Amino acid sequence: MSTTLERPALSTPRKVSPSKDGRTLIRSQVRAGWALLAPALLHSAVFIVVPVIAVLVLSLTDYSFGDTWAWVGFGNYADLFRDVDFLASLWHTVLYAIVVIPISMAISLAVAVGLNQKIRGLSFFRTAFYIPTVTATVAVATIWLWIYNPGSGLANGFLSLFGFAPNRWLADPATALPSLMVVGIWQGLGTKVIIYLAALQGVSRDLLESADLDGASRWQRFANVTWPAIGPVQFFVLITSIVGTFQVFDLVYVMTQGGPGSETRVLVMDIYQNAFQDLKLGYASAETVIMMLVIAIFIAVGRLLQKADAND
Amino acid sequence: MTSLTVAASKPPVLRPGRIVLYVVLTVGAILMITPFVWMLLTAFKSNLEIAKFGWLPSELRWHNFVEAMQTAPFLRYFRNSLFIAVGETAFTLAVCTTAGYALAKLPIRGGKTLLNYFIVLLLVPFQIILVPLFLIVKSIPLFGGNNILGQGGIGWLNSWWGLIIPLGAAPLFTFLARQFYVSLPDQLAQAARVDGLGEFGIFWRIMTPLVKPALITIAVFQIEAAWNGFLWPLMITTSDDMRPLQLGLAIFSQNPAEIQWPYLMAGTALATLPMIVLFVFAQKRFVEGMANVGIKG
Repeated sequence: MSTTLERPALSTPRKVSPSKDGRTLIRSQVRAGWALLAPALLHSAVFIVVPVIAVLVLSLTDYSFGDTWAWVGFGNYADLFRDVDFLASLWHTVLYAIVVIPISMAISLAVAVGLNQKIRGLSFFRTAFYIPTVTATVAVATIWLWIYNPGSGLANGFLSLFGFAPNRWLADPATALPSLMVVGIWQGLGTKVIIYLAALQGVSRDLLESADLDGASRWQRFANVTWPAIGPVQFFVLITSIVGTFQVFDLVYVMTQGGPGSETRVLVMDIYQNAFQDLKLGYASAETVIMMLVIAIFIAVGRLLQKADAND
Repeated sequence: MTSLTVAASKPPVLRPGRIVLYVVLTVGAILMITPFVWMLLTAFKSNLEIAKFGWLPSELRWHNFVEAMQTAPFLRYFRNSLFIAVGETAFTLAVCTTAGYALAKLPIRGGKTLLNYFIVLLLVPFQIILVPLFLIVKSIPLFGGNNILGQGGIGWLNSWWGLIIPLGAAPLFTFLARQFYVSLPDQLAQAARVDGLGEFGIFWRIMTPLVKPALITIAVFQIEAAWNGFLWPLMITTSDDMRPLQLGLAIFSQNPAEIQWPYLMAGTALATLPMIVLFVFAQKRFVEGMANVGIKG
């Protein structure tokens, strides 16, 4: 990843003759550099670095906004694995990620391949697929809450067109989580389509044409030229999708509040409730650390899959 | 946007395969847009009409929008969201362009390490740090009744500072700004130095005007992020005076007994339309920004 970030030549400091004038010039540049960087460094230290360290430390305490607190070692972690709410949240979040990520990646790639076929109205289609992404998840969730309305919502109206019986969607434990997944997939397509489309446009035309001349079929060209070429972008999309799906909160908060029962309870919601309703900050921090580890495991597995794919 | 010109210059013959392609893409586009159309149509309906499933309202009840504003202070929420989005974007542009420029163009020792520092931070999701971030914002010294050690009061909780500053200036934007400045030729700055312009003058008057289009990309993404934010305002606001639109909407929708769907959909339209308009006008910036982050990152 980092290799593409560097554009050498341009960013290296100029060679200045070692005259006294040159040195003061360089010194004033260095001073200006630090002055310009200082606000960003301070901001990131206070609002990102310190919190990351703090979450690790807090997870080993029983801190709860009070004046007194104590170290509890790994007690929070031990408690978590006996906490049914936490285990349910973890399971639902993992399930949500496992279903939503591959489906949305596959649909996005298919749409991007379609849009890459020199079609008319590209900007219309791109806008259509991207609009759910630019709109707030809360607003999107509110709209879908109405769509899934058992009485007169669009979803049941649609079913009745084909003579199916109405469904209770979010109110039915069997369909609540899948209903949320549909919205998650629907909303997440835009970003992926645009990234895939940019990657597809970067695939070497020469390679594709020479494969064509060699008599490779459409499918063979895709499998042997396009697919390997977009490998790095696939991995980027995968990572951002993993991080994104583990963060799912707004959607659940508005549409189900974790219900019915705790059928749609997810990790961030559990963390939020433990921290800000039950005021168990140490406990919620331990939960955050576990979430971090699970995300890391997902990314590691993704990395392995990608390597295996590249070696085929 | 080469594909656009290609599509215009060489219209391919309509083979059956292409017809299928257009049909599939059109169905997909309809699935994407229908919920928003349904939202708008509902906003014009009466309570009697929504009791049964149907598409078109019998008449365009514009007064639904007026009444929605009276049921909940959507207009104030709207103003709050606007204020947060503008404030956060100004803050982000100020902090991230300066830092990005310094990383790209000034000979700082350890510049590469610092760049990597920002790249690593860019990967930290907000949800990971939400608990300690709350504590830090609560302990900002000398604000909200706090003493110099940050004790005793509520710090930046329930304040515009707290809503705007902590989530502004994301490392992603520092990194993006750096990518933009790095492509400018060094000779420009050198020539200005020879003419006796100071380092800050070079940054502000020579280099920054040249990356203006790129800054619009950053602004567009930051506006969207600030406008759509929900969890953070939910955590730190306690008074209705400061709540942004998304939070107001969520609270309004959590009152199942007396949800007024037409009013709620009118409020939702208010929350979504500005971003849709922004996207339609700044589509090129969005697409380029996404592509840049995705491919270079």
